[in-house]
Amino acid sequence: MINQGHTSGNSSGDGWFSSLIHSVLSYYSNLISNPFKSGLAYFIIGMVPMLIIGWLVLPSVLYSEQQQPLNFNHALHMESDVVAGLKDYTEAEKCLYCHSFREDGSFTGIPRTETCAKCHKYTEYPLGETAEEELLMKEYISKGKEVPWLAYYRQPDCVYFPHIAHVKMGKLECTVCHGAHGKSYTLPVYEKNRISTYSRNIWGKNIAGHKTNTWDRMKMDDCAECHTEKGHEENNACFVCHK
Amino acid sequence: MEKTETHHGHKYGMVIDLDKCTGCGTCMVACASENNVTVRSDETDKERSITWMKLYKIDNGKPFPETEVCYFPRPCMHCDEDGHGGHHSPCVSVCPATATKLDHNTGIVSQIYTRCVGCRYCQAACPYHARYFNWWDGYSFLQPYSEGMERALSPEVSPRMRGVVEKCTFCHHRLMSAKNRAYAEDRRELEEGEYITACTEACPAQAITFGDLSNHDHEVYKLSKSDRAFRLLERLNSKPKVYYLSSKEWVKKFADNYTPDQIQPATKKEI
Amino acid sequence: MTSKKKDITELLSFNRRNFIKLAVGGAVGAGLSPLPWKLADDSAIFSQNFPWVPVPETGEFNTVKSHCTLCPGGCGIEVRRVEDRPIKIEGRTDHPVNPGGICPVGAGGLQLVYNENIRFKGPMKRIGARGAGKFEPITWEEALKELAGKMLELRNSGKADKIAAVDGNRTGSTASLMIERLLTSFGSSCYMKMPCEEDTAAEVSELVYGSKTPVTYDLENSDYILSFGCGLLEGWGSPGRLLNAWGIWNSTENKDRVTITQVESRASNTASKADKWLAARPGTETALALGIACVIITEGLYNSEFIDNKTAGIKEFKELVLAEYTPDKVSEITGIKAEDIKSVARAYAKAKSPVAVCGKGKGLLNGDVSEYAAVQALNALTGSINRPGGVLVNNPLPLSPLPGLKLDSIAEKSLKKSIFDDQSAKCSNARFATLTKKILADENIVEILLVFAANPAYTLPDGGDFNQSLTKLPYTVSFSPYMDETALMADLILPDHTYLEKMDDVPAPSSIQYNFYGITQPAMKPLYDTKNSGDVLIELAGMLGGTVGASFPWKGYEEVLKTRARGIFESGKGTTLFDTSASPWDMIKNNTKVTPAYTDFNSMWVTLKNGGMWYNPTSNIMQDDKLFATKSGRFEFNCSCLTPAKQHREKSEDSHSLTLMPYEIINLSSGWIPTPPYLYKTIFASQLLKNDSFIEINPETAEKHELKEGDRVTVSSEKGSVEARVHIFEGAMPEFVFMPMGFGHTAFDDFVKGKGCNPNSLIDGCNDTAWWNTPVRIN
Repeated sequence: MINQGHTSGNSSGDGWFSSLIHSVLSYYSNLISNPFKSGLAYFIIGMVPMLIIGWLVLPSVLYSEQQQPLNFNHALHMESDVVAGLKDYTEAEKCLYCHSFREDGSFTGIPRTETCAKCHKYTEYPLGETAEEELLMKEYISKGKEVPWLAYYRQPDCVYFPHIAHVKMGKLECTVCHGAHGKSYTLPVYEKNRISTYSRNIWGKNIAGHKTNTWDRMKMDDCAECHTEKGHEENNACFVCHK
Repeated sequence: MEKTETHHGHKYGMVIDLDKCTGCGTCMVACASENNVTVRSDETDKERSITWMKLYKIDNGKPFPETEVCYFPRPCMHCDEDGHGGHHSPCVSVCPATATKLDHNTGIVSQIYTRCVGCRYCQAACPYHARYFNWWDGYSFLQPYSEGMERALSPEVSPRMRGVVEKCTFCHHRLMSAKNRAYAEDRRELEEGEYITACTEACPAQAITFGDLSNHDHEVYKLSKSDRAFRLLERLNSKPKVYYLSSKEWVKKFADNYTPDQIQPATKKEI
Repeated sequence: MTSKKKDITELLSFNRRNFIKLAVGGAVGAGLSPLPWKLADDSAIFSQNFPWVPVPETGEFNTVKSHCTLCPGGCGIEVRRVEDRPIKIEGRTDHPVNPGGICPVGAGGLQLVYNENIRFKGPMKRIGARGAGKFEPITWEEALKELAGKMLELRNSGKADKIAAVDGNRTGSTASLMIERLLTSFGSSCYMKMPCEEDTAAEVSELVYGSKTPVTYDLENSDYILSFGCGLLEGWGSPGRLLNAWGIWNSTENKDRVTITQVESRASNTASKADKWLAARPGTETALALGIACVIITEGLYNSEFIDNKTAGIKEFKELVLAEYTPDKVSEITGIKAEDIKSVARAYAKAKSPVAVCGKGKGLLNGDVSEYAAVQALNALTGSINRPGGVLVNNPLPLSPLPGLKLDSIAEKSLKKSIFDDQSAKCSNARFATLTKKILADENIVEILLVFAANPAYTLPDGGDFNQSLTKLPYTVSFSPYMDETALMADLILPDHTYLEKMDDVPAPSSIQYNFYGITQPAMKPLYDTKNSGDVLIELAGMLGGTVGASFPWKGYEEVLKTRARGIFESGKGTTLFDTSASPWDMIKNNTKVTPAYTDFNSMWVTLKNGGMWYNPTSNIMQDDKLFATKSGRFEFNCSCLTPAKQHREKSEDSHSLTLMPYEIINLSSGWIPTPPYLYKTIFASQLLKNDSFIEINPETAEKHELKEGDRVTVSSEKGSVEARVHIFEGAMPEFVFMPMGFGHTAFDDFVKGKGCNPNSLIDGCNDTAWWNTPVRIN
């Protein structure tokens, strides 16, 4: 069929354009009207499952899902009438109340149980009545054990990220990278890439790599993009972020 | 975000006083320990042994008892550009993967292991043999003799995988920690001595001085202008940021690697 | 029908072309989905971060201050940790001994702690043949019960004197006192201190000063240092201190002020870096010192005030040196030009505060009495005794004595029996020679041997005799945390903590010219089921009961340390704070008074216990009247001990025509401590190649013996032979074979075992203090 189209196009001299249009049209009508014979069906049979696999199956297979050892209500802990001492704090300061800086400027990250125990002191009075708090008291604080939290936003080992440079000196809001994590009532499922072993939050929620918000993805290009935008081109030198 | 920093670029550099250097090797050990450098059971194979800081031993070749020995500690020279767009640091210009770059703000030549493709072109290009290739994984089931040793690894420097090139970074992570400390104290600029490399710190004879060569108040700047100062293979115009000091003429002559049949330009004018 | 059927078959016929279409469709579909891009990206990341590449855990960085006890140098260290995991050892800036610096062994020490292939993970009992290294784990309770049982059995059968202990702890350390106490209360006098240079120093001190107090040198304040073979840069005394001093001497302001002259037969680091190198033949140092003395006396350059008022025997000394040691004669003996001897003598005598020092290499092996006495005579000639920049003799540390040693009748009776005669009782080398000889002669003199912080099977310069004698001992107990040569021969292992895991004390570090007492605190939790030997001794004594148990009334080792430290508080002197702006030597020079920063004992103890130190840079120097405790009450030029060292043994022309000269380097551990693997990075390929270490010989000698660079040779002495490679080095004295010490272990792991050869297996140094004087031949 394809050959026929080509021959007719070549045989006519002056009407070559209309004959080309004609042959293309007939080619496609042939293709559609007789999909099996033309082979279009095979093409589609090949393509559609791959699209399904790529867009729908891949994300569910690529990521392993893990539950946090216990739930943590970020939104609740950001309320100043729940946590005394948060009064008049800015949003960032509220986060820093638990996720604090050490004296040497390093960032503590996920707090240790001793930070939790500043408020959750007594086994018999765990401040609230949820099962999580009871679990925290019984399993961790009273035993002096650390909660094996899964970190959503941990960069790989080759990356050096100084929070203090961004939060204190750069005055960035925590939400720029972490989104509305501080407003969540329950901890989302932790998704780990089975191949790269990185958290899905770091390497992009969207399987195609599209991002709409600054916090959607935290790959190298995203860091560089922000540095450039803010006029800190010099911080795109390799060793600034790599170790 | 307002830009409060006054960005005059730094040019971190090192001055090593060979008159003070005793050849003890502490710099090498402190460097390896600081930077998670791997160790093999046969470290006598110097082509495989990884030493970001390496001690070279030279002697004046005179017969007994006129013989004299001198040691050259050799970190990465962190070669500069010539400033006129003429040439780059030897290794930077050849890297096909942009895994090694000169940072104009610090003068430090970086090496990113996760970007390195292991072609070893930079190794061939480096006139100072300051680059090392990882032929093996330092810590794996293939290396049973290093059992338990991974417990000494520092989280400040990422351990390397096999197949990549590594080299001295002027302990760049120490610059980052020093900055963090400064930020915690609401400062942006570092004082002299706040950022020094592990070898500088460990040298028991204080033979190594580290600082900003572009800052005229820094000791390194003053020392680099000393009569005793010279650099290795200066005629290559690679502009190393490591200076050496020696009061001995024969040591200085060694620094430009003249072979016996070559004539030193300073003494004979033909070349 | 048929056409329809045909249509369907045709329709569904899966020919090659349709297959391609299907494949292309699949490829396009995949390409339009994130599948290939995402997988490629993830795989790239996977390859960048192979899962077996470790990711070191991060956390809070902190430091623990302590002391390094890998050598007797007493350097302050700061252990850098992530949470409670040590990751690096650094020098401590707030420390008088080594302000900020550290030696390579100290910097690599972490590898000794973490390398699980060289450590015992708990108490062990031997199951295989001796030396095979086969052990089975037992509990501490079982182990101590077994040892106590054997000891009681010995004691009850009237053989209390048949227990011996080898102790490698520093003289005067609490551990050392306790080991000796255990033996004494048990009834044995067979307490064997590992040989060290300080024995010779003490012997000579007694001869010339009249007191056994160790002599120290105020090198930092001196402007002319005449070193007789001291490896000032090879780890002599306290490496941290000496290397730091070297930096000070070579600083711009001091460069022209300070002169260092090194007497040595090889272009070592010290000799090369010194301002002047005098290459005297080994063993002729006494003659050289006396030759220098001769010039000083002839030219009237001596300090006549000191000579007249503070010394005795100068007349005889004068006669001796003028007759026997004129520069020309000395030149002949030593091989140094007479002109050089004269110029050094003049420069030495004319310097403001000259000092002559001795103790070969790292100062870890016994020396030669005549050499030490001659060197002290040089110090006396210039009056460099008890003054800043010269020899300083400090009062002993004011530590409280341990109370309550109790002896029962068994012990009293048994202590009277001693295997050592008067001569061999003096020197630790001679004691070992006697002991080894008797064991090898099958005299049943030791039934239980306890080994503490020592590896005599490797370190004794006795040609392997001690190692041989270990096979004859019925029961050997090792307290070593490492699987060293001696431990592999032991029947029972009671592993101590490694130095970073334990609490211990650091009394009077080698060569430090002021009173110093430091405490090491654990920088980490013990990794394995090990126990501080101090605690084990107390527990063991308790199990032995009776007067032995009563002699150890403490709850634990910490209590013993605390008991001793009280004396320091009661002395009312010194301080526990180091002011970085005032170095101890400046304080000595300016006679600065320090006042204790503490008011009660407990606050002092808390500071000490946390890796702290106490030091007293001034006001504790022995007064002259107390110092010179000789018969004359003066410094004595003791001519009787100045007979030069044993001359070279008779060499026959054909065999053993060369002389072995072992030398030490700072890049290898000494004593019982294995070398940390990182140190092998610092070893040159001309020192070790694969498993061969190198001997250094002069090109001239090499030519004579037809040797080329890299040749593999056998070096043999009357005692034994080793294999080595040849390195031709201009800096080696002709007719000598220079062999590094610290290689040639037969124990430990792949990093250390079987690398190079050990000169100790060629030397007969236990019978003969001249360990630098072994005739060898090369084939």
